[in-house]
Amino acid sequence: MSYYFTILSPTDVPLFNIAFGTSKSGGDGIARFRFPDTAQYMNQFIIHSSLDIVEEAQWMNGNLYLKHVDTYPPASAYISAFLAPSGARFLLLHQPPQLPSTATGSGSSSLLGAGFSASALGGGSSSRASSSSIAANPTSPQTEEAVRQFMNEVYEVYVKTVMSPFYRQGMEIKSPVFRTRVTAAGRKWL
Amino acid sequence: MTQPRHSAMLSISNTNPIPIANDKQQPPSTQIQNLASTGLRVPSNRKTIYDRHLNRTRNAELSRAGFAFLFAEMVTYAQRRVTGIQDLERRLNEQGYPLGLRLLDLLYYRTMSSSTSSSLSSSSTSAAPPNRPLRILPLLHLIHGPLWRLLFNRPADALEHSVSPDTPNEYMITDNDPLVNTYISVPKEMSMLNCAAFVAGIIEGVCDGCGFEAKVTAHNQPTEMWPGRTVFLVRFGESVMEREKVLERAGVK
Amino acid sequence: MTVFSLIIINKAGGLIYQREFQPGLRKLSTNDYLVLAGTFHGVHAITRSITPKLPVAAATTTASTPTSSNVPSTPGTPTPITPASTHSFPNPGVPATGLESLETDKFRLTCFQTLTGTKFLLFTDPMMTSIDTVISKIYELYSDYVMKNPFYQLEMPVRCEAFDRHLMGWLRGRT
Repeated sequence: MSYYFTILSPTDVPLFNIAFGTSKSGGDGIARFRFPDTAQYMNQFIIHSSLDIVEEAQWMNGNLYLKHVDTYPPASAYISAFLAPSGARFLLLHQPPQLPSTATGSGSSSLLGAGFSASALGGGSSSRASSSSIAANPTSPQTEEAVRQFMNEVYEVYVKTVMSPFYRQGMEIKSPVFRTRVTAAGRKWL
Repeated sequence: MTQPRHSAMLSISNTNPIPIANDKQQPPSTQIQNLASTGLRVPSNRKTIYDRHLNRTRNAELSRAGFAFLFAEMVTYAQRRVTGIQDLERRLNEQGYPLGLRLLDLLYYRTMSSSTSSSLSSSSTSAAPPNRPLRILPLLHLIHGPLWRLLFNRPADALEHSVSPDTPNEYMITDNDPLVNTYISVPKEMSMLNCAAFVAGIIEGVCDGCGFEAKVTAHNQPTEMWPGRTVFLVRFGESVMEREKVLERAGVK
Repeated sequence: MTVFSLIIINKAGGLIYQREFQPGLRKLSTNDYLVLAGTFHGVHAITRSITPKLPVAAATTTASTPTSSNVPSTPGTPTPITPASTHSFPNPGVPATGLESLETDKFRLTCFQTLTGTKFLLFTDPMMTSIDTVISKIYELYSDYVMKNPFYQLEMPVRCEAFDRHLMGWLRGRT
C-alpha cells in the first residue's frame, strides 16, 4: 500500500504533503506508486479533484472524519478525508499494491492517457503485495479505523502547530518535527 | 544594567537539561541529531511544542491581573494612530480573529481527548467526538456554551434571534459582565466604544472557521444591575442563509 | 464610621481625584482643592526631610561582630567617617514616611503614600477606627480600576467610571 497525504487550507492552498508506504506486514515504509514517473503530479491531481466531493459531503455529515469519499479507478486510488473544525482539509490517497495476477502487464509510459492501458507496472510493488487486511481492501472497516487513528494523531500534531504564535492560518507547515511526527503516525497505523 | 539581566536569562535557559521523566513520547536521541542537521534550534530541554500536552492540567489558572494588564496594553497598542472609534474596534476585532480560528481547533481537540471526562461538560455525554456544526443554531450553541466556558469558565448569559423579519440573519449573544471589560472605564467622549470588540473578533474567527461567513460586533447595552452588559451581534452573510435553507430542506440537523 | 471625602495627589503634587462621600466638611472651591493638594504635598515633603535620624552608634551595638564596630575608632583609617553617615533611619531600607495624619476636633486627615509617590488623603470622623482597612481597600480599587484601565494616562486626573462606582458601592456597603 502506498500513501500520499496532504493538508489543504480552507482556500485550497497545500500546506503540507508527504508520500510514504506501508510499514505493516514487512513493508519498508517507502511509497511505490503504480506509475512512479507520473505519480508526483497525478497524486496531487487526484486529491484535488476529490475536493468537490469533500465539499459536498462536508455539509451532509458533521463528523470530523468523513471516511472514504472518492475513488479514482484508473489508478485505483482511494481518497479519505478528515476535516479540521477550522476548515483545513486532511486528505489521504491510498493505493493498494498491484495484485500478482495483474502484474504481468508491462511497459511504463510517461503519457497520461497511456496510463489507462498500461495499468500495471513491473515495479517492485508487485512482489511486495502483502496480505494484511488494510492493504488488501481499502474500504474495509479495518482500513477505515486505521485511517481514523492516523488522522486523529495528525490532527493533534496539527493543533499544536496551529497554537504556535508564529503560525498564521494558511502558512505552509515546514517544521521537520511535524514531518517526523506524521511519518511516525503513518508507521504506527498504516 | 541590561547585561547582567541578559546573562541571567541565559543561565536560566541552560540550567534545565534534565528531561522530564514521565514524558511517554520522549524523542529518541537520533531524532534530535537529525533536527540539529536541519539547522532547527531545539530548546535546551529538548522539548519542542510537539512534545507538550495540549490539555490543560487540572486547576491550571491564569492570573486575572496579568490578563488585565496584557489586555490594557493590547488596547493601548491598537489605539495608536487610529482614525476613530470604528477603526479602533476594527483593530481589536482583527486581534481576536486569529484567536478564534485557533480556539476552534483546540476546543475540538480537547473535547475529543476528554470526551469521557466532563471537563468541558458538553451537553452530550456520549464518548463520540462532537460534530462540526452544519446549521446556524448548533454553531451558536457551540459559541454560547463550550467556547465561552473555554474562555471565561462560564456560559454566556443569553442567546437570541432577531425578532425583526427584515433581519433574519441576525443573532445576539449576551454577556452581562465581559471579563475583558472588568477593569476598563471608557471615557465619555468615546462612549460608543466597547473593548469587547476583541471577543467579537474571536466569535467571528470561530464562525468563519466553521464555514459560516459572519460579521460580529460588540454593543453596550447597560442595565441597572449590569452596567457592563454587552451584546454581540452576529450577522451571517447571504451565502450562509442560502445554504441554511438548502440544508433545512435536505433535513440536515 | 463617617468617611467625608477622598483626595488623590500625584507624585508631582497635582490634584488628580477629589470626591465627597458624606456631607460634613465645608465645601471648597476647585481652586482651593488644587491649592490644598499642592500645599499638602509641600508640607509632606518637608516633614519627610525633618524626620530625625538615629545615631549610627545605636545600630553598631547590635552588630554581632565586635571588630566591625572597632574599625571606625581605629586611628589612621583610610576612609574617615563623614558626619552624614553617623546617623541613619532605624531601617535604612525604608524611607521616612513624612506626615501620616492630621487631626482636628471635627475631622481627621489620614495620608497614605504608595511606593510610586501617589498620595491618598482620606478625611474621616476623628472617632473612626480601622482607617487602615478603608485606605488599603481604596488602594486596591485604585490599582484595579485605574491602573488597569487602558484609557487612564499616568499622573492625569482620574476619570474612571468603574472606579467611582466600585468605591461608592463599597463605602455604602460599610455604613
